[in-house]
Amino acid sequence: MNKNLRELSDEELILEFQKNNVEAAFEILVQRYKNPLTNFVFRFLGDYTACSDIVQETMIKVFRYKDSYSSVAKFSTWVYTIAGNLARTEYRRQRRRNIFSISDFGEEHKTYDLPDENYRPDVIADSGIKDEIIQKALLKVKESYREAVILRDIQGMSYEEISEILGVNEGTVKSRINRGRAQLQELLKDIYNE
Amino acid sequence: MENDEKKYEKVINTLKNLKEVKAPENFEADLRRRINSEKFSKEERKGFWQNIFVPARLIPSLGLIAAAVVVFYVVETNSEDMDNPFLIEPRVRTDLIAVTDYKQLKEEHQNELKKSESLEKEKNVPEPKPNQSELKSSRDERTKGREKDEISDKLTSEQDFAKVQGKTEGTVSVSESTFAAIIDSVQLTVPSEASSDLVAGQRITKEELNFRQVQLSEKEQKVVNELKNQVQNSERPAKYQK
Repeated sequence: MNKNLRELSDEELILEFQKNNVEAAFEILVQRYKNPLTNFVFRFLGDYTACSDIVQETMIKVFRYKDSYSSVAKFSTWVYTIAGNLARTEYRRQRRRNIFSISDFGEEHKTYDLPDENYRPDVIADSGIKDEIIQKALLKVKESYREAVILRDIQGMSYEEISEILGVNEGTVKSRINRGRAQLQELLKDIYNE
Repeated sequence: MENDEKKYEKVINTLKNLKEVKAPENFEADLRRRINSEKFSKEERKGFWQNIFVPARLIPSLGLIAAAVVVFYVVETNSEDMDNPFLIEPRVRTDLIAVTDYKQLKEEHQNELKKSESLEKEKNVPEPKPNQSELKSSRDERTKGREKDEISDKLTSEQDFAKVQGKTEGTVSVSESTFAAIIDSVQLTVPSEASSDLVAGQRITKEELNFRQVQLSEKEQKVVNELKNQVQNSERPAKYQK
């Protein structure tokens, strides 16, 4: 049975779960999407604990609202839309919290850019640190651009899928991706000059 | 499009070469636990509402409702209805009589006195006539008695008023022991209006007056007339002089 289920596509699995309430189909979907979603959410948030919670919350939503899935759309776009919405909400909540915590020590209505010593070339030693630098640079990219860049360049999605997930047309997606890339290049110029 | 990708080739490659972040090992177990806990809480909620409407469970709750209704009605019927004090009509005081026409009251009072006197006279007719002095004294006593009664009535009403005032204003009210003494003292200083009213209340005949009626002889009458004339003559010039 499980062997047969594993051969099914995402859409077929979710339909199996929807109509026949086959929880094994749901479990296979979880196995397929847990890592890509974790990667996407982590790159967007930069917080692994929060990212894990958000991916779990995404899967719970899929489980609970399986009937709201329409077979017209791709399962991947549906599940990424849920994860993206949750990630955006969490990111805004974290940002509010950070702003308030910094404002408590200084003047009101002022945000601070904390100096990051890691950008210095002499600090960069191995790929682990490089990854960290890239992650920090990603977090500095504008929220809407970042999401599009991650979905395109890290998750390898098509412009069509991204436009469905973000709910904007393809032209906007391309524009956002280019702007995001430009910002990243500017932020990572020290690494590229090396 | 291709130009853009060439332009940001480095960035694209950097992002593609990033290590994939994987979900924690216990991800699926945690997810299963969370889903089961949600399922359990859902079932619990369902069970609660279902249990409420099970007939066996309805019996005690219905009994409770019935008891509550009974208690409510018992409490409701026993509770005193609070009347609006502004809607309650004032009590009618039967001990007070409102008088609009004082003259009429006076006349009625006089008529009553006359009647009582006439009745007394009728009663006294068969009895032998008492002496003038006795008559006078008895009349005096009667009038005094009436005066006393009236004054005492007035005083009692005044005393009541004073008592009420004493309660409200904190003054000392007149005690009963001193009441008799006050009546005696007041009797001596009866206002002239009150005495005239009392006198007007009864008709005084000539016989009842305290005059000494002396039978004069003709000589004595002449002498008296002469003396009267002399007095009158002596008074006239004085008047004319004035």
